[in-house]
Amino acid sequence: MSHTQDKSSAFQQGIVIFVYLAALTALEYFVAVVFTAIPILVLIAFIKVALVMYYYMHIYKLNEESDSDRDSYSYKTGSNRFGLWLFLLSDAFVFGGLLVSRINLLGFTRPPLNQTLGLAVTAVLLLSSFFMNRGETAMAHGDKKGFVVNTMITLALGLGFLLGVVAVEWPNAAREGLTASGNVAGGIFYMMTGMHAFHVFTGLIFLGIILNNNRKGVYSAEKHWGVEAAAVYWHFVDLVWIFFYPALYLIGKLL
Amino acid sequence: MRHFIIVGILVIATAALTYFGLTAVGLMPVEASVQSLAIDWLFNYEIIAISFLFALIVVPLFYSLIVFRRRKGETGEGEYFEGNTPLEIGWTVAPLIVVIAFAYMGTYSLGEVRRVDPNAMEIKVTGFQWNWRFEYPEYGVTSNELHLPVNRQVVLKMESIDVLHSFFVPEFRMKQDVVPGRVTEYRVTPSLIGDYKVRCAEMCGTSHAYMGAPVIVSSAQDFDAWIKLQNAPADPVANGQKIIATNGCLGCHTIDGAKLVGPTWKGLYGKQETLADGSTITVDDAYLAESIVNPTAKIVQGYPPVMPPFNLKDQEIADVIAYLATLK
Amino acid sequence: MKRFFSSALMRGLFWQFIGTLVGAGLVTAIRAAMGLSVTDKFFFTEPAWVLGAFFGVLFFMVGTGVTSDWIKWARGIDPPEHHEERFQGWEKYVNISLDHKVIGVQYAITSLALICIGGLFALIFRTELAQSQLQFLTTDLSLFGQNGPQLYNTLMSLHGMIMIVSILLGIASAMNYVIPLMLGAQDMSFPRLNAFSFWIAVPAAILLLMSLVLGGFDTGWTGYPPLSARAPVGMQMFFLGVFTAGWSSILGALNIIVTVVRMRAKGMTAFRMPIFVWAAIATSIISLTATQLIGLSFQMVMFQRLFGMGFFDPGKGGNPILFQHLFWFYSHPAVYVFVLPGLGIISELLPVFVRKPLFGYRWIAMSSMAIALVGFVVWAHHMFTSGMNEYLRVPFMYSTLLVAVPTGVKFFSWIATIWKGKITTPTPMLFVLAGIVAFLMGGLSGPPNATVSVDLHLHDTYMIVGHFHDTIFGGFVFPFFAALYFWFPKATGRRMNETLGKLHFWLMTPAFFVLTLGMMRIGLLGMRRRIVDYDPAMGFDSTHMVLTIAAFLIALAVLIFLYNFFNSIKNGEKAEGNVWNSRSPEWQVPSPMPAHNYDQPFEVVGEPYDYGLAGSKYVEFIKSEKSAHN
Ligand code: HEA
Ligand code: HEA
Ligand code: HEC
Ligand code: CUA
Ligand SMILES: [Cu+2]
Repeated sequence: MSHTQDKSSAFQQGIVIFVYLAALTALEYFVAVVFTAIPILVLIAFIKVALVMYYYMHIYKLNEESDSDRDSYSYKTGSNRFGLWLFLLSDAFVFGGLLVSRINLLGFTRPPLNQTLGLAVTAVLLLSSFFMNRGETAMAHGDKKGFVVNTMITLALGLGFLLGVVAVEWPNAAREGLTASGNVAGGIFYMMTGMHAFHVFTGLIFLGIILNNNRKGVYSAEKHWGVEAAAVYWHFVDLVWIFFYPALYLIGKLL
Repeated sequence: MRHFIIVGILVIATAALTYFGLTAVGLMPVEASVQSLAIDWLFNYEIIAISFLFALIVVPLFYSLIVFRRRKGETGEGEYFEGNTPLEIGWTVAPLIVVIAFAYMGTYSLGEVRRVDPNAMEIKVTGFQWNWRFEYPEYGVTSNELHLPVNRQVVLKMESIDVLHSFFVPEFRMKQDVVPGRVTEYRVTPSLIGDYKVRCAEMCGTSHAYMGAPVIVSSAQDFDAWIKLQNAPADPVANGQKIIATNGCLGCHTIDGAKLVGPTWKGLYGKQETLADGSTITVDDAYLAESIVNPTAKIVQGYPPVMPPFNLKDQEIADVIAYLATLK
Repeated sequence: MKRFFSSALMRGLFWQFIGTLVGAGLVTAIRAAMGLSVTDKFFFTEPAWVLGAFFGVLFFMVGTGVTSDWIKWARGIDPPEHHEERFQGWEKYVNISLDHKVIGVQYAITSLALICIGGLFALIFRTELAQSQLQFLTTDLSLFGQNGPQLYNTLMSLHGMIMIVSILLGIASAMNYVIPLMLGAQDMSFPRLNAFSFWIAVPAAILLLMSLVLGGFDTGWTGYPPLSARAPVGMQMFFLGVFTAGWSSILGALNIIVTVVRMRAKGMTAFRMPIFVWAAIATSIISLTATQLIGLSFQMVMFQRLFGMGFFDPGKGGNPILFQHLFWFYSHPAVYVFVLPGLGIISELLPVFVRKPLFGYRWIAMSSMAIALVGFVVWAHHMFTSGMNEYLRVPFMYSTLLVAVPTGVKFFSWIATIWKGKITTPTPMLFVLAGIVAFLMGGLSGPPNATVSVDLHLHDTYMIVGHFHDTIFGGFVFPFFAALYFWFPKATGRRMNETLGKLHFWLMTPAFFVLTLGMMRIGLLGMRRRIVDYDPAMGFDSTHMVLTIAAFLIALAVLIFLYNFFNSIKNGEKAEGNVWNSRSPEWQVPSPMPAHNYDQPFEVVGEPYDYGLAGSKYVEFIKSEKSAHN
């Protein structure tokens, strides 16, 4: 698949990638339930990450030649994009640190969590990424209405994920005896989901901002760095969850 | 060419002077353990390397400063040369070899230091704020002093009950952190009879500086004699006093009426104590026993509930109480 | 005066105060509603102080106005593209400016202020150490809720961290001021982010200092749990302060990388950049990524204290050693953050004063990258005695020793640079030379620490203290002073007084060598670090007295420097030309630098350090109708 297309094939590509991601998630869940093969789970996670980075976050744009005029919008966008990716790289170290801590503290065991809920919020987040991609693609093709509709859906799904974790999964886990101040498994669970939820929350704020800015007519098909940034950030949050979900729900023996 | 010869001679002279100067001063404390030999052996080579490398950089530097300085009225620039790849490769590869050699020697030296003697005597060490306790399971002895027989390997199995500490005896050349929740190991074969001191080398709070205990390395006979003395039955009060000393109670309590973290023990026995909830209670044996085993059960008014529970045997508690009762 | 009180700085501080009250009040109100205790030893409870501190930082940032353009953006309003300087003279420096040169100076001043505060703390505790036994930090003392030994611990720990933050700001100042000039850029890629990075360091410093009065803390700068999980509230202020300062570092690094990649002048290929730029890139790679992990490790202890999460609590299945891994994953590479820019400055200035090309430019450039990258895999050499898995010690010994190789390349190349030069030794060059010797001593004392068995003896003794004061002075303090003397004329159009500069140098350098060699000497004999008192039987009293005297001499030298610095801004000898006869682009235009840097863009037409090659040129200004900006 290449990455320069007209609007409908761009949309189509989004769908295909989403189907891949969904299938991989299902496979992941299946693998975890049937036999505990951590290398396979890691492999699947990396495939998913590669798909998201390439097709949803279009990392290849970093390589794009930009205008030689340093004051031009496209040159500045190039710099901004590079800056954003560096920021994500930096942020990835926080999450990497959390993953390492989780492995160090819990090893090949995992906290007792509600599998159905876990799969549900994962699906919601994945779906939101799909709509985010649609929203951004719409904007890139000048389809403001498509942008608004898709971004609204993303926002709603994102909110659903956030509430699903914070308002449903947390109290649920606490009822099951997994509290922050109890065993360290609780501590690391709340820390990881909490840090992730915090990022989802900031992502939601960015979505709100781009919707509002769009209302004020700031963006156009040619100039919509804000939309791209919010979208890339949103996918990054999804990308983190691609690792966190198996790390918390799938890997290892039940504690 | 002349420059290179002069500098070469100066480098060697300076290196030799530095090395002999340093060794003449005497860099390390006495060697009191077998392990310290392997460490000092490596350190000596490191000092040689350091002296040489120091001279290798500093001598040409000062030489250039003097010989190639811009003299009064001189104009013009320095000699033009930009680099020399073989030279660069040379001074990348040579240090690389030196470094690998040192890493190899380091591995060897570490192996020597960690060499296991299957007959090593095991001693259980507990570090706590701010003292040390040593238990000799073989002899059923507990003490605040570490007595070691000379020329016999001992293995210290160390644990902390609160924060990190570190077991350090400079004359043994080794230290090992003491970590809550895990047992760390320290193997040493004392080789020199004498009195030393463990000094806690990991920041552990207010009195970290003073967290030490005597280490007495003695002949096998003297060591056995000490063990005998420890096993001799002591009267309850003396025994209680010893238990207090080995458990670090005096880090928080005084016997002279002064107030530290916890209340003083002076005149404690039999007095009316006001508790945090306002009630009063007579200090009797049962209350004292509870205060030691389960300190948070009854909190004295005006004090924080920070005393950790102590796991003492019934006999030990009785002895402690006997001792406390003497503090009028 | 009135204009000072209405400056962004003062506004920020005022709002930080308000923010602290608001945050703390909020928690207190919630606690009151929940029926929990509302006051504590330091008035507010710990959670209240934490949220208060956090709000304080937020309010500070919004209060100064650094974020107002972003808020406008978020609301769909386009702020003007180029900010004109609204202030003149000293007012520029206490208000928000987006000019990288102003920000560079702001960083420098803040860094110097923190060096003074950290140094003052050192002087206090060095005075206590001058003799064994307790002299004035006695157990009867009670200040800020601490007795003498506790206060010692707080001062010592804060000395460490404040000095480290001052280094981070110091290198940021050099990079900010110089790099866009070297690249021929008008500014950094993200001027607003740049201002943000600077300003957030100010509330961070305030938080660090607040920890002193809120009961202090007694863990050293490393903040190891479980001790740090038990220390007073001051610990939280320390954690938050470092966390906040970390953002300054991360965002600053991000900006540097983007600027170097995107803003170079025409013809400036990778190997034609001034060498300092390479150093900055290597540094920034570390700051950008690794810093997150010190933030995370501190955050985890913060949460352990606030919510009882048991990450490092063995009682709950936690692991205290995990903290050390996370902490050193940053804090080791961080030591290369301290030195790489300094070594870059050494490489940058040597050719100027030797009048010869930099020997082995590419090797030096690549050695910076090598040091930075190898630096990522050596962290556990701080943990040889920690009780971590024993088999890890050997691979970490190998990797650590490996760092000596690229560092050696730098030293040998410097010597080859000096060889057969035409050397002059004005003040900046003196500091460069002392930096080389000091860093050599510090560096050479590194390998013994790296060999595990020897480190069993050296760890946590004054040998280590001596090692890092040497590396830090050699890699940062001396080069930083060199840079200040060197670029001072560029910033002000005046020179600093040469006599005072030499006095500063000749006072500080010997005192410094006495200080660190003395430290190493007693360290080898068994003097532990972080102790308020030492056993008189060890016979260290006289050495410690000498160390204390040396410390005061360094302080005196710094005072002379400060006088010279501030006095020369107004009264220094005029120096508007290329005072050092350098080839670097910023010296090809008159000083002080105009607000928008170069009036004409330049093109790189030669090698940067071809001193002594007749007729060669590094940059050439493009004389075209289209000038750099309009
Ligand atoms: C500016 C900062 C800086 C720098 C550059 C370094 C550089 C090095 N450091 Fe240091 N270090 C610190 C700051 C720094 N350090 C600090 C702050 C601590 C204490 C932290 C704390 O606990 O509070 C510390 C502690 C520390 C330890 C832990 C000690 C302990 O606590 O037990 C170790 C152990 O390996 C170590 C090793 C090294 C090594 C191998 C280098 C190398 O990079 C040095 C390389 C340089 C040279 C070797 C010299 C030049 C080379 C040649 C001339 C070539 C030929 C050389 C050879 C063949 C050897 N350092
Ligand atoms: C930039 C880094 C840096 C610098 C420059 C210094 C500078 C100095 N340091 Fe230290 N130091 C550290 C970083 C640094 N230090 C670190 C990281 C630690 C480890 C902490 C830990 O263990 O956790 C440490 C620890 C440390 C110790 C060990 C403490 C212990 O383990 O108990 C000692 C002991 O002597 C010491 C001494 C000194 C002295 C005398 C100076 C002197 O050079 C200071 C000279 C004085 C000044 C530079 C100030 C001069 C200015 C004035 C006097 C003017 C004052 C006026 C105004 C406020 C306007 N430092
Ligand atoms: C960490 C500090 C600490 C240590 C160590 C400590 N205590 Fe205490 N102790 C306290 C504090 C604080 C109190 C008062 C609060 C309470 O009642 O729990 C207390 C109270 C007591 C009391 C009740 C005193 C009274 O006035 O009623 C006794 C008895 C006692 N401790 C004995 C011991 C013994 C025996 C040891 C050692 C085996 C010991 N303590 C070690 C801090 C400590
Ligand atoms: Cu125990 Cu320091
Ligand atoms: Cu290190």
